[in-house]
Amino acid sequence: MAVEALPAPRTSRLREALASPLTAIGVALVAIHLVLALFSPWIAPHSVSAIFTDGLTPPSADHWLGTDQIGRDYLSRLMSGGRVALLVSAIGAAVAVAVGTVLGLIAGYFGGILDDAIMRVTDALMAVPELVLIAILVLTFGKDIAALSVIVAIVYTPGVVRVVRAKTASIATLDYVRAAELRGEPVPRILLVEIAPNLGGLLAVELAIRMSSAILKISALSFLGLGISQPTPDWGLMVQEAMAVVFTDPWFLILPAAALSSLIIGINFAVDGLSRAYGISAKGTR
Amino acid sequence: MSAHVSVDALTIVFGKPGEERAAVDDVSLQIGRGKTFGIVGESGSGKSTLARALLGHTRPGARVAAGRVRVGEADVFALSGRALRAFRGGAVAMVPQNPLSSLTPHRTIHQQLHELITLHTELAGKDAHDRVIELMVRTGLPDPKALAKRYPHELSGGQRQRVVIASALIAKPSLIVLDEPTTALDKTVEARVLALVTEVAQELSATLVYVSHDLNVVGAICEDVAVMRDGRLIEHGPARTIFANAEASYTRHLIEAIPILTATPAPAIGIEGPPVLTVKNLTFHYGRRALFARPAQPQLSNLSFTVAAGETLGLVGESGSGKSTLASLIAGALSGHDGTMRLCETTLEGSARMREKSLRREIQMVFQDPLSSLNPAHTVGEIIDRPTRLYFGETAAGAREKSIALLAELDLSPDLLSRRPRELSGGQQQRVAVARALAADPKLLICDEVTSALDVTVQSHLIALIKRLQLQRGIACLFISHDLAVVSDMSHRILVLERGEVRDYGPRDHVIASPQTDYTKMLLSAFRATQALRQERARPAMAS
Repeated sequence: MAVEALPAPRTSRLREALASPLTAIGVALVAIHLVLALFSPWIAPHSVSAIFTDGLTPPSADHWLGTDQIGRDYLSRLMSGGRVALLVSAIGAAVAVAVGTVLGLIAGYFGGILDDAIMRVTDALMAVPELVLIAILVLTFGKDIAALSVIVAIVYTPGVVRVVRAKTASIATLDYVRAAELRGEPVPRILLVEIAPNLGGLLAVELAIRMSSAILKISALSFLGLGISQPTPDWGLMVQEAMAVVFTDPWFLILPAAALSSLIIGINFAVDGLSRAYGISAKGTR
Repeated sequence: MSAHVSVDALTIVFGKPGEERAAVDDVSLQIGRGKTFGIVGESGSGKSTLARALLGHTRPGARVAAGRVRVGEADVFALSGRALRAFRGGAVAMVPQNPLSSLTPHRTIHQQLHELITLHTELAGKDAHDRVIELMVRTGLPDPKALAKRYPHELSGGQRQRVVIASALIAKPSLIVLDEPTTALDKTVEARVLALVTEVAQELSATLVYVSHDLNVVGAICEDVAVMRDGRLIEHGPARTIFANAEASYTRHLIEAIPILTATPAPAIGIEGPPVLTVKNLTFHYGRRALFARPAQPQLSNLSFTVAAGETLGLVGESGSGKSTLASLIAGALSGHDGTMRLCETTLEGSARMREKSLRREIQMVFQDPLSSLNPAHTVGEIIDRPTRLYFGETAAGAREKSIALLAELDLSPDLLSRRPRELSGGQQQRVAVARALAADPKLLICDEVTSALDVTVQSHLIALIKRLQLQRGIACLFISHDLAVVSDMSHRILVLERGEVRDYGPRDHVIASPQTDYTKMLLSAFRATQALRQERARPAMAS
């Protein structure tokens, strides 16, 4: 049967997605966090590392959220606490999606031995629990921003490979790929021009889920003392510092945890709503 | 006689309130008890929605905005809960299009029929079991005892549809609605299933509502016919009257568009000369022959034929006959054959990738499903430009100029260049696919079931276009289809293929007038009934 119905144009689909309150909240949260991460050095009231007092002080006109155990402005540190995690997870997830897409395209298109080789390495990496794998890699590569980005990329590539491979294998059986093969198109062109553009929405969703997962993992690492270290402000680190004063000053625990949660929740709501609007399932990944 | 089924001013709408679209728009009709009633229309005409409404069913998102449907004494949309279940399980039954998706994959045929029997009748235990076997015998399933133990995927398409029909007969319904029940089946299987359906309906004296896009089928089995378009009932009446003197111009258009076996004049014969494609003793097996494995049944055995420039060879066969395998071998999507294939003087060997660039250019293929053969991420312009740029090294501007000319030749507006395939209708998509093939300036064009995804009116337009362009350019064409009527409309010569072997091969009129094998005769017989109806058109005119 001929398909006569036309899909809605992209702009109206975006508008439709934002009409859902959860999606709108998600997009707004992500936007706020992005603005803070990009511009906090300029909007924050004080420097993140300057010491103003001798220790914990309650909120005051000068320091709206008070100062932390060593006397630094808490509001400024909270505003900057997501920067490193966001940067590292964005770079890492982008590299993971790029590398994973190329490997997934190759595995899915060629099949056979190449597919087996790529997929068995992938399986091996995925067999190790993520946090354990990250810890091992941190001990190997160190924990500066570049090293952490590479680690995130290594940990998240296998999942992307799997998803892209499955989608590629199903696209590769379609007649437009066959037509390109019969025309004698070079293989890179078949992979990148014929198949890859049809992965579009899937890749966007992959990037977002891997990123939100990576942010959580980086924060967990910092909490465990394996990730970002002083004096860089980081929510995971701040939660860890707050453990000592959790019964006297619980907001030191609650505020960074809330900031972290709002970012993760925001990303998830936004991805959920947007992927639904563009007809991609975010389920069935890792 | 009071009507068995009556539909009064029925309107069914889709979509959100405020922006509703009517799938069925103010339709009224009556169907007498025991009649065979056909509903025809092209895709999107609302025929399936109307058919489902007879069972009190609307698709999710659809609702009845006005009107009523009565079957016997029941007002079907007033029924609910237990009464609706009793109505659907008892008085009415439905046979849907795809028999595989209407059977549960993890249960055997026996389990499924047995469950329905215990649910809808008083029978139980041994009696129910006997009834299963009886139904299977009744619907012509071979060796019922053994077949009952199988799962749906272990049956052929025709057998599955028989099982579904058997399940529809369980409660001896007075109304059976069939929604395109044979569309997924081969022509010869279709003929047998149709015979079964009419026979069974007569036996039960049930009313039969038959929904189809295929006027041939409806014309063959229905007493009354309704024609639908865009949700509206264009006209309805006795099949004889509709086929002989349809009132609505749309109906006439629809009937004109049915390809007919012998009525069309033979297409102007192509250029004399050496053949473009020569195939000699072609044999092909799937897979390598392993040491201990039994030699596989050959996919193609010992085929020999030629196609000359400007000539069309029609290749007819049902699924599994090897016709697509043959196309794949010639185009180079498959390799490893015995025998010889030559394009002009060049021997065709190996896969497309191993062949010379010029050879790849000279053989072009148009695929069955236009939507899946056009990359959804590319614009129409990119799609049609590509062969020109790849094979002739044209600049972007030069290729675009050629693409615009090609679009014009295929009755398409240059506005389409910036659109994506999904934004086009089925007929436009397939014409874009043809334009892409012609952009390579081929010597041989392979058309693999190019019309089977299209509505009948769109189909006749496409065929006319291909015929014209092929003649103008002197291209040799291998036209593959399961539809003998389409092939006969298109071809100078016909080759009938069954299980990889040639059954009939010769000039078109010769094959159709005097088929050599029973198989070809059987393929032909499916079209005879409609043709008889159409030829009667002349008679009332003479009488009056």
